[in-house]
Amino acid sequence: MHVLMMSLYAAIAAVVLAAVDPKSDTTRQRLVHGLKIFGSFLGIGLLLSWVLFPVPW
Amino acid sequence: MQTRDGLTNDIAPNYSSGSFVFDEPRPFSIPRRAIAVVAAWLVPGAGHLLLGRYGRAALFFVSITGAFFLGLILNGRLFWPTVAEPPSTFHFDLITVLWFFAQIGSGLCYLVSYALGFGTNPHPEAATFEYGNTFMFLAGLLNYLVIHDAFDIAAGRKR
Repeated sequence: MHVLMMSLYAAIAAVVLAAVDPKSDTTRQRLVHGLKIFGSFLGIGLLLSWVLFPVPW
Repeated sequence: MQTRDGLTNDIAPNYSSGSFVFDEPRPFSIPRRAIAVVAAWLVPGAGHLLLGRYGRAALFFVSITGAFFLGLILNGRLFWPTVAEPPSTFHFDLITVLWFFAQIGSGLCYLVSYALGFGTNPHPEAATFEYGNTFMFLAGLLNYLVIHDAFDIAAGRKR
C-alpha cells in the first residue's frame, strides 16, 4: 500500500514537474526529465526508508 | 552602430525587408494574462487551455484534479485556518494556515468540495487519512507551479 501510494505520488509530481520544466523544449526531453524525477522520488524514498528502518521512533 | 556584413546577409537575407519571421514566443495582452492566471488557479490546466497549449492543459487537469479527488477518496480532509489555543504567539494555528494554503491552490476543486461538504468531516482513524491529506496538498502545490507556468507563457517568457 505504502509503495503504491509513493509511486502514485511520484508519478503525478513527475508528470507536472516535467511538463513545466523550462529547460526541456521537446517531448522527448520532457519524458526523460520526468522519468528522472520519478526515479529520484522512488529511489530516495526507498533509500530513506532503508536508512531510517532501525530508528525506534 | 554595427553594419551588416556578408555573413549576416547570407544567414538572414530577408531580415531587413521584414519577411524573416523568428520563432520566438510572443507575449499576450495584460488582460489575457490575468484571465489565464485566474483560470489556471480555478481549474487546473485552464490557463494553458486559454493560451492554446491543449496537450499540457489536459495533462495538468487530469493529474492535478486526479490527485485532489484521490485524496478525498482516501479520506483526506479539507483544512481551514483555525484560531490557536492560548497562550499562543499567533492568532491562527500556523500549521493549519500552511495546510490551507497548500490545498486552496487547487482552486475550484477545494471550493466546490468545501461547499458540498466533502472532506469537512475528518476521519483520522482511517488508515488512509494521511495519504489523502498528502495527495490534496500535492494537488494544490503543483497547481501553484502550473499557474506560474501559465503566466510565463502568457508573458512570452516561455513557449
